Amino acid sequence: MNLVEKILARASGQESVKAGDVVVANVDRLVMHDLSAYLTGKVYDERIGKDLPYPDRVVTVFDHHFSPPTEQQADVLNRNRAWTKKRGTQLFDCGSGNIHNVLMQNGLALPGQIVVGSDSHTPVHGAVGAFAVALGNDSHAGTVMPFGKAWFRVPELIQIELTGELQPGTTPRDVALWLVGQLGEGSVIYKALEFTGPFITSLGIWDRWLFPVLCVDLGAKCGYVEPDDVTREFIEALPGGRLDLLLNGDGDPVEDVRRFDVGVVPPTVAAPPTVGNVHPVDELVGTPLQWAELGGHGGGRLEDFLLAARVLRGRRIHPDVKLNLVPGSREVFRQALELGLVADLHEAGGTWFPPSTGSNQTANMGAMSEGRR
Amino acid sequence: MGELVPRYEGRCWKFPANIPTDALVKSRYVFDPMDEIVKHVLEDYNPRFPLEVQPGDIVVAGHHFGQSSGRAIAAKALKATGIGCVVSNAFSRTFFRNCFEIGLPSLEIPDATDIVEDGDHLVVDIAQGFFRNETSGVERHVAPASPFLLRMLAAGGLINLTQSDPDWASTANT
Repeated sequence: MNLVEKILARASGQESVKAGDVVVANVDRLVMHDLSAYLTGKVYDERIGKDLPYPDRVVTVFDHHFSPPTEQQADVLNRNRAWTKKRGTQLFDCGSGNIHNVLMQNGLALPGQIVVGSDSHTPVHGAVGAFAVALGNDSHAGTVMPFGKAWFRVPELIQIELTGELQPGTTPRDVALWLVGQLGEGSVIYKALEFTGPFITSLGIWDRWLFPVLCVDLGAKCGYVEPDDVTREFIEALPGGRLDLLLNGDGDPVEDVRRFDVGVVPPTVAAPPTVGNVHPVDELVGTPLQWAELGGHGGGRLEDFLLAARVLRGRRIHPDVKLNLVPGSREVFRQALELGLVADLHEAGGTWFPPSTGSNQTANMGAMSEGRR
Repeated sequence: MGELVPRYEGRCWKFPANIPTDALVKSRYVFDPMDEIVKHVLEDYNPRFPLEVQPGDIVVAGHHFGQSSGRAIAAKALKATGIGCVVSNAFSRTFFRNCFEIGLPSLEIPDATDIVEDGDHLVVDIAQGFFRNETSGVERHVAPASPFLLRMLAAGGLINLTQSDPDWASTANT
């Protein structure tokens, strides 16, 4: 069995499962942000209403509204606060960071666990070898909260094997975006993706993070990297980091393997309207921009601020550009402070925002006017 | 458990590929009451749709319908327009899941948008995996959804199923 099959077999109490089976498995973690927590809590109260048997498995992170712009949105946060208090679930309030970054930094998404959430980027926790999937609110309200379970169809596996060495000036993010262009948006609907090969195993966890986070754009159900020594070292350093649930796949041959050499990847940009619209940066050089942001589900990592500071230290951004800096978590901001990155990027003209998920859905960081980009 | 009426007949509304859930329910409407939300469903793709959709009409959408955010309210809003069922060349994973979980009948036909036009008269049988365009006479047969998903639809959705059938978990793979 592969990693997903082994996790699903154990969590559903079966010796083995295979692609196409429908299983009901025990869920280790449900994570919701401000919007999904409100909608899910409302459905739960209206349709189920009893006490949660496993309240500690449910985590809410307020990451879309670090400072709610309207009374209606402030009221939604207050209802969520009251709900988490009444139901005894965990809450990370405004300013904690991006939903997935907070979950990972706090040791709440671990190798071998089943992690579910409404947010479409939930598969990112496959970076440490969790089976992490986005479900709908009715699964959360109807089975995860009252029973600690969810139904899953066991997915078929595709291996994405990445080999070779990066060209100077390219980074793992270039590879991840380029890969979406190569595979195609919505090209692998319902599949599980195993990211493998010497290039992947050479990366730290926060660079591995950039690959399963793109599952939603590819249409995949989940994506993962087999846990290894890099994973173990990373998890052991986290508060509450545990390795007792860690599993590895058996290494059975996989029918569908896609092989790529990262040595051919140029510096790559995903342009609007969607992540699949990727171009070599050469094609877009000179395009005027007014708005830049380091943030979101994939972009508020310490690695992003290190790279930005390497480019901008001692220089100034263009006067027509607004550069927003949004740490993925309080831990990222603390490390950025210690390394002097906060001062470097401030002096370069950037503006630091509270840890959150940034301008995702323009809920909080202000809207862009027509024609600006 | 309710009786599944798996056969739907109605007028076609055709939509293109890659429509995100945000086009079904925009972020700024998610906290509004449903009777307000339904006035805007798919309006960016066809402003006539939310105004003129009739009970029993059938939505046929291209590849990766309901992509991006997995918000269940997107499927709920489409159901609330009164349509009988939704057909797509391929649904996004979370949208497919949400359709069954909230009781909106759905069927995948890989070339659906190639064989229909707006206003065609369609017949869809979810349990048989059968699709027929009565206007053109073109038919398709596909594998039906798993028995678990059909039971979910018959119950009116996942919460109805899990609240009414104590064996829902142990019988999921049957």
